Amino acid sequence: MQPVILRMEGIEKYFPGVHALDHAQLEVREGEVLALVGENGAGKSTLMKILTGVYTKDEGSIELFGEPIDIQSPHDAQKRGISIVHQELNLMPDLTVAENIYIGRENVRGFFLNQREQNQAAEELLQSLHLNIQPRTVVKYLTVAKQQMVEIAKALSFPNTKILVLDEPTAALTDGEIEELFTFIRRLKANGVSVIYISHRMDELKQITDRITVMRDGQFVKSVNTEEVTIDEVVQLMVGRVIYEEPKMQSNVDPGAEVVLEAEHLNSADVKDVSFQLRKGEILGFAGLMGAGRTETARLICGADKRESGVIRIRGKEVRINCPRDSVRAGIGYLSEDRKRYGLCLGLSVEDNMVLPSLERLSTSLFVNDRKLTEVSKEYAAKVRTKTASVKTAVRNLSGGNQQKVVVSKWLLRNCDILIFDEPTRGIDVGGKNEIYKLMNELADEGKSIIMISSELPELLRMSDRIIVMCEGRITGELDIAEANQEEVMRYATKRR
Amino acid sequence: MKKLSGDKIDMNKLLAPAALIILYIFFSAFGNNFFSADTFKNILEASYYIGFMAFGVTFIIITGGIDLSLGTVMMCSALLGAYTFKQGCPLILSVLLTILVGVFFGLLNGLLIAKLKLPPFIATLGTQMVSQGMGSIITKVQSQTWPTATDLTGGWFKRTFIRANLFGINGFPVGALWLLGAFVIATLILHKTKFGRYTYAMGSNEEATRLSGINVDNWKMGIYILSGLFIGMAGLMYAAAYTTITPGTGNGQEMNGITGVVIGGTSMSGGSGTMVGTLIGVFIMSVLKTGLSSCGLQAPWQTFFTGVVVILAVLMDIQRTKAANRAKK
Amino acid sequence: MKMKKRIALLLALTMVAGMTGCGAASTETTTTDSSGTEEAAEASGETMYIPLLAKGFQHQYWQTVYAGAKDAAEKYGVELYFDGPPSETDIDAQVNMFKQELAKNPVAMGLAALSPESLYEVLDECAEKNIPVVCFDAGVPDDPSGAVVATASTDNEAAASIAAEKFGECEKLVEKMKNATPENPVVIGVIPQDAVSATQIGRGKGFVDKMKEIASQYGTVTVTGHEVWKDEADNASIIIDVEVPATTEAVSVQTVANSLLSTKGLAAVFLCNEGAVTGFLAAVSDGEDLAEGGKYAELVVAGFDAGAAQKNAVRQGWFLGSVSQNPYMIGYDAVEMCVKAAKGETVSDIDTGAVWYDASNMDDPEIAQLVYD
Repeated sequence: MQPVILRMEGIEKYFPGVHALDHAQLEVREGEVLALVGENGAGKSTLMKILTGVYTKDEGSIELFGEPIDIQSPHDAQKRGISIVHQELNLMPDLTVAENIYIGRENVRGFFLNQREQNQAAEELLQSLHLNIQPRTVVKYLTVAKQQMVEIAKALSFPNTKILVLDEPTAALTDGEIEELFTFIRRLKANGVSVIYISHRMDELKQITDRITVMRDGQFVKSVNTEEVTIDEVVQLMVGRVIYEEPKMQSNVDPGAEVVLEAEHLNSADVKDVSFQLRKGEILGFAGLMGAGRTETARLICGADKRESGVIRIRGKEVRINCPRDSVRAGIGYLSEDRKRYGLCLGLSVEDNMVLPSLERLSTSLFVNDRKLTEVSKEYAAKVRTKTASVKTAVRNLSGGNQQKVVVSKWLLRNCDILIFDEPTRGIDVGGKNEIYKLMNELADEGKSIIMISSELPELLRMSDRIIVMCEGRITGELDIAEANQEEVMRYATKRR
Repeated sequence: MKKLSGDKIDMNKLLAPAALIILYIFFSAFGNNFFSADTFKNILEASYYIGFMAFGVTFIIITGGIDLSLGTVMMCSALLGAYTFKQGCPLILSVLLTILVGVFFGLLNGLLIAKLKLPPFIATLGTQMVSQGMGSIITKVQSQTWPTATDLTGGWFKRTFIRANLFGINGFPVGALWLLGAFVIATLILHKTKFGRYTYAMGSNEEATRLSGINVDNWKMGIYILSGLFIGMAGLMYAAAYTTITPGTGNGQEMNGITGVVIGGTSMSGGSGTMVGTLIGVFIMSVLKTGLSSCGLQAPWQTFFTGVVVILAVLMDIQRTKAANRAKK
Repeated sequence: MKMKKRIALLLALTMVAGMTGCGAASTETTTTDSSGTEEAAEASGETMYIPLLAKGFQHQYWQTVYAGAKDAAEKYGVELYFDGPPSETDIDAQVNMFKQELAKNPVAMGLAALSPESLYEVLDECAEKNIPVVCFDAGVPDDPSGAVVATASTDNEAAASIAAEKFGECEKLVEKMKNATPENPVVIGVIPQDAVSATQIGRGKGFVDKMKEIASQYGTVTVTGHEVWKDEADNASIIIDVEVPATTEAVSVQTVANSLLSTKGLAAVFLCNEGAVTGFLAAVSDGEDLAEGGKYAELVVAGFDAGAAQKNAVRQGWFLGSVSQNPYMIGYDAVEMCVKAAKGETVSDIDTGAVWYDASNMDDPEIAQLVYD
């Protein structure tokens, strides 16, 4: 067994009103990939911020290679060989790869930048990591996965980086890209770098990690060897309660059920001749790799983008959808993959967000009826079990799962019976995910029709009645849940022309 | 923790009014004859037109936009009103025209920003110059005069908008009633109507609002037109207070309005702010200016200290945002 | 807890503001107690507070007015407050200042009104409170309130006509006017800084009227340009062109000067105040274009008021000369009349006079004291 190189013990951290870390501990061994898992708010990020010098600990000790250390600042952490790659990429999109790697530590000759040497150094670094990236490339022209690797390269460009923290590195990656990243991580491991890997994607842990450390409510729960546990056991450790909706084995929808939404020959720049039908009470999964045209199709249906041709029918009647307003009126609610950007007004209250599309309907007189709005928003918040101090709380103070519920109730309140969930569980922790699954099943049982777009195949297979697979803007396959499995879906998803 | 952040917000709400009261008490103690009915009236009268401008631009700033044309549009409307009056137009029509000019430029700004998608900064920078130029061209660069209180024709103008012998008080500040009325209406619109809700929603996240099925373009147009209406009214209040309107002026007046809004706690990035904050912000500025002058400080000092207050106000706004973000973690 | 800290900070800052305020106030006001003249001390018993509100501060003209006022304040033992709006178009700022000073209940007030109409109501209040107002630099014509007791100012029309007379004596220009034809007219440019203030309108009028009278001996004269002074005639061989800048900023004046300079047949220019001179000089490379061998060496230029740049242009012979009022006396007389009016004495209007100065006489002692820097 490899020696322990980092030991954090008895770490305490208080924020005003919150005991964020309660005797947290962590051990990292040389050259291992250690998963750090826990629900949102479990204290993973806080612990990592203490390790990387963003926060200072209130109590506890940190030992690096057996020596007690006191980490003062991110810079200090980097000097000691501890680097972090954050979930949100922190690259300057308009600068080159080399400029990004050496930002703040530019190679200068007197007053001027020494571009040539800097590029050379970057090239050597990238080559040593077997990365096929040109140092002179402007970062925004790289794929997200490549950008991620530039971030990692940047972290490793500090001399003798020994510990690398990766915070949800796969959140924005496609399956192929994830594989690429994993190969890369394995190579780092072989070079003796220890990786602390934070992820919400349970299936990844089995593939890449050696050990798993579980945290809950700011406390250390358990460290286990990855080989010795099942994912469900890990999840149980994380949430401390029973989890997950039963996977669907066969479709719950009567094949003769009413067709509520029918798309015929939809076309746009990214969508090619897409036709499908959605039945009442159905959860229709959309699978595919990133860029397959799933989100783009959804945006056509909800009028966010203009379609070039094609017909949309609701309950057999053709509807004109040219802008989001038209689709909302037709009863289609879209839950974007990027809630913060397209779904919510973060600074406004839960209530304001929930009633936004329905104001026209709920307030027909000159002034809005505040009491009525509060009443209905309370009712719907309760209906979808939104956890919030009150409906007057700003949405930005809610957890990801509860934010998603606000978006759901926003559309329910608007009487939408067609709901498009685009990556509904992205960035939501395990407990929150299950809440969303449960809610979707309940909605479908009530007779709402749901389109579910997801890049996580396991959740699509667990939830859908039927799966449509897209590739390069086209529908390449349609599978009933009874016959669907990962291999089958992937075969269609990569069925290029 | 939830409770904690709740208390904090309440404290913040009290901060601006507290600052206003403290300033007033401070100057009453140290200023030369500051604590008097005359000075109080002066503070009111210097605030009317700024108040109207600030009410209008509050809506715009909450949507995350900006209007740099406020000052010159106000001057242009007052100028054209006076010009038509001088040309023999009945005063009541000139008064209406003054408001209409404001509405017209609001419409123009709205078209440029909501429909043609120009950035508000650029669009209103353009209308700033257009309105200033237009006023000068039509009046042939001559200053225009509104009727004074003693004029036989149109003496009612000042009695209606600035001061009159009312309720047995000689020189009752009628303008204060107009300001109060405008404040009540603006508050109702902002806080109690769909229009107001959409204003906040657009400022907080325009794309999310559009995807919620709201016709963002039209509502935004509406906001600029409403703001234009307030600015036209500001033109009237300016005319009533200062009588003579000089072409080629108004540059810099927009800052009076915007400063009031910012001191009142409305964030320049949009999505938050209140009308009552704006009202208090406007009065903080006038009390400060009048107060400094009662201490014998000349105009440059007043500008200097207004600047200091703006910086302090925005610093506090940033602190507030930080506190809000911390609450999230 | 943090909030308390913030309030404390705000308070402290306000205190500082107040303190600086007092400090600044004492530097700006000139107080003299018993050491002043005995009559004054006797008459008032306490120091008289008299505010003087000028049209602005930015020109050296007003600084000279202030100097005169300060000397008079010294003499009579007056606590003087001298202020003006940041720019000469800030009517609202001046009205607010006037109201605020009035609220301090001074014994008398001095005023150089930017816009008389804007001040009617406030003057009414002065009359009600029995506070006499002395106008300086510019009057309030037909003051309806009766608060204005007297005016100390230059007769602007008369002063500006001096420049026209000097143009009439300039052989170079007379020659050109004689030779002018409707096809090849001579242009005489006039730049008032604005078409709003009575001062500028009066100076323009004084010059235009006199110039027209003189030039009529040599041919038909037409007055073109700005509405206010326009008086057009057909087939004119001599054109008086009055051009007003869009704003009072030096840049706008420069723009107007440039367009005037490019006018064919331009032979002479009259600039109605220091602001117009400054803008004009900027358009002629600070005056060098007017020097011997320069681009506009032939141009005959006269200015109004003084100031370092204008004085230099006159001294170098680039300008034919300039008219100067007596700003020092304006300030001095204003305070003196305020004091008298406060004591209940009758005061009447004073013409503070104007002189022509050129390279030859500007160093004479009696002229030099009028021509401020």
